[in-house]
Amino acid sequence: MGFWKKLQSIDRRWIYLVIWLVVMLPLIFPFRIKSVATPPVKSLFTYIDTMPEDKALIISVDYTPDTQAELQPMLVALLRHAFAIRRPVGVLAMAVPGLGLGEDAIRQVTAEFNAHAGTKADSIINGRDYVYWGWTTPPITVMLGMGQHIAKVFPIDYYGRQTESMPVMQRLKNYDDAGILVSIAASSMPLSWINLAQTQFGLHLGCGITAVSAADYYPYVNSGQFTGMLAGMKGAAEYEGLLEQCMVKNGMDWHLRGKGTEAMSSQAAAHLAIMAFIIVGNIAYFVTRRRKS
Amino acid sequence: MKKRLPLILVLVTGIFGAVTYFVPHHSIQAVDESVRNDVMRIIAAFSLVLGLGSILQHHFNKIQRKAQNWQYSWITVITIFVTGVIGLFGGIDLAHPGVLPTHIGGFSFHMQTLYMNMMVPLGATMFSMLAFFMASAAYRAFRARSFSATLLLAAAFVLMLGAVPLGRMIFHPLPSFAEWILAVPNTAAKRGINFGIQLGILATSLKILLGVERGWLGGG
Repeated sequence: MGFWKKLQSIDRRWIYLVIWLVVMLPLIFPFRIKSVATPPVKSLFTYIDTMPEDKALIISVDYTPDTQAELQPMLVALLRHAFAIRRPVGVLAMAVPGLGLGEDAIRQVTAEFNAHAGTKADSIINGRDYVYWGWTTPPITVMLGMGQHIAKVFPIDYYGRQTESMPVMQRLKNYDDAGILVSIAASSMPLSWINLAQTQFGLHLGCGITAVSAADYYPYVNSGQFTGMLAGMKGAAEYEGLLEQCMVKNGMDWHLRGKGTEAMSSQAAAHLAIMAFIIVGNIAYFVTRRRKS
Repeated sequence: MKKRLPLILVLVTGIFGAVTYFVPHHSIQAVDESVRNDVMRIIAAFSLVLGLGSILQHHFNKIQRKAQNWQYSWITVITIFVTGVIGLFGGIDLAHPGVLPTHIGGFSFHMQTLYMNMMVPLGATMFSMLAFFMASAAYRAFRARSFSATLLLAAAFVLMLGAVPLGRMIFHPLPSFAEWILAVPNTAAKRGINFGIQLGILATSLKILLGVERGWLGGG
């Protein structure tokens, strides 16, 4: 068997080893690659950044732990943004396994902001600045019901507290009080938000999705149904870049870790390795085919 | 009656579901709100019980028959009960304790601790394996055998390079070109496919509502 023939039938474990190395090494020895924001990311960022002060950001955690590497940095970045510009925030989960991810992100971001807060007024407080509604079912009840009366859909929050009496809920009664709802998902849930919440109540929507499903969502971004979109880890990294500039401008130069940005080097290396595999595989294929003929 | 009743139920609820979108009268909307907030939630709760019963029955049967890999069924059954008890009676975390003590000294087994230390790594591990399989498949199967395959390969190259910041470093307009591929040719194709899918869904829904399509009733 010739060299090229052997190369074509190489043991797949060698490929696994190379992929493992190119993913791991940039994480162990990180190097930063600056991301330039694409139009869908810029559009979502600008919309949230310029929302009127009385408008809230609602985030729907519609993903599960398997895709958290890609999507969790988006949730963290959106929460940081809303708290940095002091907008009310409401978080809900459409998937039960997403509940813990929502809780983890809220805990992380509130701790970051409260560590820099000098007074109680500067702090981020549950019930005053944000509410974590948790999960309820079925989705159609949630999406349509929230347009009328959110406290009726979620009478208690994730921690078992009455929502009706919360100060933040006085500012967030239904979709009229929401500037935008961002659905972060690894499924088609953002499309259900369009079908039910946007068409009936005119709610502005954004989405954060896995890179592999980005192609499915472009028609909705182009039509304006999604104000903006964060696609995959790159989308999260781009948002983190814009947010960092915004926070520095507002005197919050806290050097917060952006996991999307940190993982860009690893992702770039993996993409290059896969492309190298395809090129080598094709060269081997053409050489062996020519020899055969 | 066994077949007629479900058909009547589907017809009535299906037509009512559609009517609520077009008739803003408060009587219709009030019924719709009640159906959404009460009836559908009760049905959803029953489906949860049904699902739980079904999965437990399946695994208990497997254990009883000592079917292949029956030992793993114990893991499923025990996990369901443990997480169920902690979820119902234990706390979310130290700041939000429940009635059941869920920490012994420094060792905690709150819902959030279990979740972050078991569910998240397990889920992430399963999904991350895709990277290995994808790389192997790309090496073995992604060949420029024909014009269409070459076109697909070229588009994939542009998108893969455009999807990482390195693409801009290699060739400055590359990310914009990748963005154009997604925003223009991809959108055009997707819209065409989506129209087809939606028309198909509409036709199938009408067939089910009107009782033309009865496969969902079972019985072949």
